[in-house]
Amino acid sequence: MLLAMSSFAYGKDTLNVLTTTEDLKSITEAIGGDKVKVDSLAKGLQDPHFVDAKPSFMMKAKNADLFIRIGLELEIGYEELIIDGSRNQKIRIGNPGHLDASEGVYLLEVPTTAKVDRSMGDVHPMGNPHYWLDPENARIVARNIAGRLSEILPENDGYFKENLKAFDKKMDEKTAEWNRKMAPFKGKKIAIYHRSWPYFADRFGLVIACELEPKPGIPPSPGHLKEVIDIMKRDNVKIILMEVFYDEKPAQFVAAQTGAEVVVVPNSVGGTKDAKDYFSLIDTIVEKIAAGFQVSGKE
Amino acid sequence: MKKAIILFIIILFIPLFAADARGSEVAQLQQEMAALRSQFSEMKMSYETRINQLETKIEDIQKTYSIRAQTPQITSPVQPQSTSLGRYFQSFNPDVSVIGDFTYHATDRKNEEFRNQFQMRQTELAFSASVDPYARGDFFFHIEQENGDWHIGLCEGYLTLLTLPIEGLQAKAGKFKVEFGKANKYHLHNLPWVDYPNMITNYFGEEGMSEPGVSASYLIPNPWNKYMELTGQVVNNSNGVSFAGTDSKDLVYLGHLKAFFDINEESTVEAGSSLAVGSNTGSHGKFGKDMTALEGLDLTYKWRPLQKGLYKSLTFQNELLFSQKDRPYFDDGTDIIDGKTLNSWGAYSSLEYQFAKRWTAFGRYDFSEFPDYTKNRENAYSLGLTFAQSEYCLWRVQFKRTNRNYDKDENAVWLQCDFGLGPHRKHEY
Repeated sequence: MLLAMSSFAYGKDTLNVLTTTEDLKSITEAIGGDKVKVDSLAKGLQDPHFVDAKPSFMMKAKNADLFIRIGLELEIGYEELIIDGSRNQKIRIGNPGHLDASEGVYLLEVPTTAKVDRSMGDVHPMGNPHYWLDPENARIVARNIAGRLSEILPENDGYFKENLKAFDKKMDEKTAEWNRKMAPFKGKKIAIYHRSWPYFADRFGLVIACELEPKPGIPPSPGHLKEVIDIMKRDNVKIILMEVFYDEKPAQFVAAQTGAEVVVVPNSVGGTKDAKDYFSLIDTIVEKIAAGFQVSGKE
Repeated sequence: MKKAIILFIIILFIPLFAADARGSEVAQLQQEMAALRSQFSEMKMSYETRINQLETKIEDIQKTYSIRAQTPQITSPVQPQSTSLGRYFQSFNPDVSVIGDFTYHATDRKNEEFRNQFQMRQTELAFSASVDPYARGDFFFHIEQENGDWHIGLCEGYLTLLTLPIEGLQAKAGKFKVEFGKANKYHLHNLPWVDYPNMITNYFGEEGMSEPGVSASYLIPNPWNKYMELTGQVVNNSNGVSFAGTDSKDLVYLGHLKAFFDINEESTVEAGSSLAVGSNTGSHGKFGKDMTALEGLDLTYKWRPLQKGLYKSLTFQNELLFSQKDRPYFDDGTDIIDGKTLNSWGAYSSLEYQFAKRWTAFGRYDFSEFPDYTKNRENAYSLGLTFAQSEYCLWRVQFKRTNRNYDKDENAVWLQCDFGLGPHRKHEY
């Protein structure tokens, strides 16, 4: 590792960091402070599964000292093409300049069947990759990033540790606030569009009753929506939680049939104007869900 | 006696006095007890209130921290998961994919081999993996039916050196689709249409130009930090359409310059220029000039909105090709061309518009001459619709009318189904 580190000879105080999502960008900025310059490939408005491997992204990767990905095959469609096209050895998998942020995070939905294939939809064999929506996982991601930044810039180890401490402290405060706000809805059932939400639901005690997608990545079909409507009526589900980049029509159709509220929330930093950083992302989700339950409760 | 009477009275009244005294003591005790009970009751109430307050506080604290204390259901992807153990053990095997291209081709051209027939047009077998820390390898085999027999051939098989000592340099060795424009590099299954543009088939053959050779590409540093890639390739001169064919021992030299710009986060422009030069007879000038020079220009505009990019996109792709082919001895049966250079050209313009998650409409205009028959021309108009069942399976219908000045016009309709198994590496942007 040391040999590899020295061979890259970073030799500068500020690192160019390229992340695959804006959530990773936000956490990296919080930990790296003025020692990092961070850019993100995917924007918060985008579906992070589908990002084009544009040559301009290869140029960003070419100039990067550290590449940070969500992992769990979220970036399988573009990461390899971009890194290969960048011709940047520093950020290749296995080198210090490549960090998989999922190291050590709590995982959900690791397939338990002996065989995983595409008849199951767009499943991820290593587990559901939307783990960043659990604030406790964000702490682990922050720790991973701080550790890697310290490896690359050991002279700033103390600085990164201080920032990590401040990040954790703010996370403590915000977690208490989010828990307080979500406590009234603990045990409530919700419907979701795509399985982006199991981590968030698990952390805050929401119960996912059904999904609008019949299988991950497969668009809603009329037959499946009928099943969803039946489940929502039976279980008195009053919230349909969905991401900003999906078509709202199927959700609005189901809402009209069931009297539920469609709650459109960002699942990444930058997904809405309010979601400026990781903390305001979770703020936005919590507030919109709370408002959704309040509206649906009055109707 | 008197003493006895007094003693008797005392004895007689002592119990009475004693009873009186006990009565007052009991009353006092009862008062004290009542006071104690009252105090105890107050204390009890006070403590109960305080206990209730503390319990409420504890409950609040528990609410706050219990979620953090929950044991995660499944942890640590660092450890190989039992479910993905198979994949773990196979991780040294290459990614293997099979892609089928199935068509029904209806045409009013009578000499077509697969006229009004179903056809398993092509089956692609793809193998890709890292070779070592410095290189990756890719192989693409095509299985096709020809004259009733099935043949397997190597479409591409090359090693890519990813980490050369010169920054920005990458190299390739093996058999590969040459870097000339955009459409030549497509495989059948990832064409945005059912067929290749006429320009490609008329100047490079049915599936474009793919030759054994070496390639080096370099990202040109520039003050704007834009993607500018210069590629140089030297390949065998085995393409018999524009160059000499398999009997030749010559080489073809190619150059390609690609520039890519983001107009904004949703729109991009790619511009490219290509050059290919090589002998078209392999006779080394024995019979005069025998060189072919091909020049290409390509311009592609792409748009995909950030937020609704799953549902809408547009691609406007254009290519131009110019050919100068020396033909020292050309006999078409009526006259002989000696020492002349045949100038010809071809072009296409394609517009694809994705209007729903699974639906894309497209249209393409083709104009093409031929490298050896410059008087022969084709104009073709194509319209089509693609339904993407999923990322890995699409259905397509395409109508094409071709006007020819050397043969009958043709109307053709294709129905196509492309389907892929396995983790096929994504194609370039």
